[in-house]
Amino acid sequence: MGRYVVRRLLQMVPVFIGATLLIFLMVNVMGDPVAGLCGERQCDAATTARLKQEFGLDRPVWQQYLTYMGNVFTGDFGTAFNGQPVTELMATAFPVTARLTVVAILFEIVIGITLGVITGMRRGRPVDTGVLLATLVVISVPTFVTGLLLQLLLGVEWGWIRPSVSPDAAFGELLVPGLVLASVSLAYVTRLTRTSIAENRRSDYVRTAVAKGLPRRRVVTRHLLRNSLIPVVTFIGADIGFLMGGAIVTERIFNIHGVGYQLYQGILRQNTQTVVGFVTVLVLVFLVTNLLVDLLYAVLDPRIRYA
Amino acid sequence: MPLDAGDAGDVQVTGPRSRGERLLDVRDLRVEFRTRDGVARAVNGVSWAVDAGETLAVLGESGSGKSVTAQAVMGILDVPPGRITGGEVLFKGRDLLRMKEDERRRIRGAEMAMIFQDALSSLNPVVPVGDQLGEMFVVHRGMSRKDARARAVELMDRVRIPAARQRVGDYPHQFSGGMRQRIMIAMALALEPALIIADEPTTALDVTVQAQVMDLLAELRREYRMGLVLITHDLGVVADVADRIAVMYAGRIVESAPVHDLYRAPAHPYTRGLLDSIPRLDRKGHALHAIKGLPPNLMDIPPGCAFHPRCPAARDVCRTDVPPPHPVDEHRGSACHFWRECLHD
Repeated sequence: MGRYVVRRLLQMVPVFIGATLLIFLMVNVMGDPVAGLCGERQCDAATTARLKQEFGLDRPVWQQYLTYMGNVFTGDFGTAFNGQPVTELMATAFPVTARLTVVAILFEIVIGITLGVITGMRRGRPVDTGVLLATLVVISVPTFVTGLLLQLLLGVEWGWIRPSVSPDAAFGELLVPGLVLASVSLAYVTRLTRTSIAENRRSDYVRTAVAKGLPRRRVVTRHLLRNSLIPVVTFIGADIGFLMGGAIVTERIFNIHGVGYQLYQGILRQNTQTVVGFVTVLVLVFLVTNLLVDLLYAVLDPRIRYA
Repeated sequence: MPLDAGDAGDVQVTGPRSRGERLLDVRDLRVEFRTRDGVARAVNGVSWAVDAGETLAVLGESGSGKSVTAQAVMGILDVPPGRITGGEVLFKGRDLLRMKEDERRRIRGAEMAMIFQDALSSLNPVVPVGDQLGEMFVVHRGMSRKDARARAVELMDRVRIPAARQRVGDYPHQFSGGMRQRIMIAMALALEPALIIADEPTTALDVTVQAQVMDLLAELRREYRMGLVLITHDLGVVADVADRIAVMYAGRIVESAPVHDLYRAPAHPYTRGLLDSIPRLDRKGHALHAIKGLPPNLMDIPPGCAFHPRCPAARDVCRTDVPPPHPVDEHRGSACHFWRECLHD
């Protein structure tokens, strides 16, 4: 187990370097970092040259990358062009996205798994068909449609929620955005749980549990669910890494100043440091959550051994 | 389905060696499965009984309905597609089929327990064996988890699993096949039930381990004075441990007799075929005997005696009339029109 973790951590190094290099090149090569700095107009040649020198953009790209990574490891993600340190942006954005992720994941767990168990136990009945149809609709409708629709109905027409989330982004305000963000994954969790439950329901060990005279509830929770949730938990775990990447669409719709929002702003304004900095952190978050999911898998299923 | 008079399933015999009161009395049990392709009649009026402390072997090929009978008795039939369409299952005089589910649940595991064929798939792969054993005490006796675990260790000792105390937290996949089946046996024994139904308990095991596990089961059965229903297709296993045998074919009992009588002189051509197909050392070099043909399709059981297409002694009457149960003597029965000829053959 220990050796496995070490190996995985070592494997992260090339992945991390490759991913950051890629994003660094994309941002630096595909766009002109200075282009957006002079408002609508083109910068004049002298200003461009001065800015390029100030930010070290006149040096070769590989040198820029090395300097940048060197700074990152000392905790300096650089300054955005507006003068705010990128770390400061992160400090405000990540907690918001983390809260949004928690809300979304809770929806996935509570609603997704419950619906999955109900439909899995009643496969082919009207409840099952109904829920299955609903998940299909949710999966096929894009998030921005569901998001805008809910915002319009709940926020504007009926006034149940505030259509736009305040800068604090408290949990209460994030319920509807969280549901919107979770919707597609929730549908997948439902389907995954349903299939898994339906498959394991006829298994030998469930029959044994019934033959032991266990109450139905115990058969379902302790024997059936415990086995059926293994693939579901791994899916949800991977989704945490994905959701922490920020939801550009959902955060835009509800004006949530999280990671997705900052990334969007960064891209829009060609803000190199912001984009590269956030993506660097996201790569790390994703790698770590993936490792945790793999380790969790072994905890859930004792038959899996890591060496 | 219509109940044809004098159905073959009524062969019922009480053993001469019965030592106690009637424990389980299965009467005219009928089970069918509704599938897309039609109705499969898996059990067509089966009757047998077990007394306290007695071992009954239910013998038959795969698809003969022996496991389905056991599942119906135990109350673990998959419903749907399965459906019990008739009969009674009297356990200590009370009909299990008419009981409320909760009442029946309390009997399951506590008063009658079951051992399954494949212990690896029948044990929960993600729960330590100690917890699976202890669960019996927690659920049926309201014991604390700690006490239950201590009892689990005792049970594992009882079925001779080495280093039980160290292994109580291990998972099923960490045990060998024989050890896993011992755990299944321990689980069935946990609450000292009056009756154990063992559905092919040794089929999935290596031949060398089969004997050990069977001996252990027989020994513990004697010690706890339990009734045992042994479902098997292995005639070798039967001879050693059973008091009586009920032979099933196409969802019916075709012959029922004390074990030694049956081995000495079978009163049904199917039983004779089974006995002849045991490989014998003194016939080395000769072709092995096999019953010709295949077991019938349960969706289309032949009219008359279900065995007639494969029976060497079949005559016209076998193709039209279902043979009624003939009492061979006070302890035996045969569902063959020509049981006399068969017996003296």
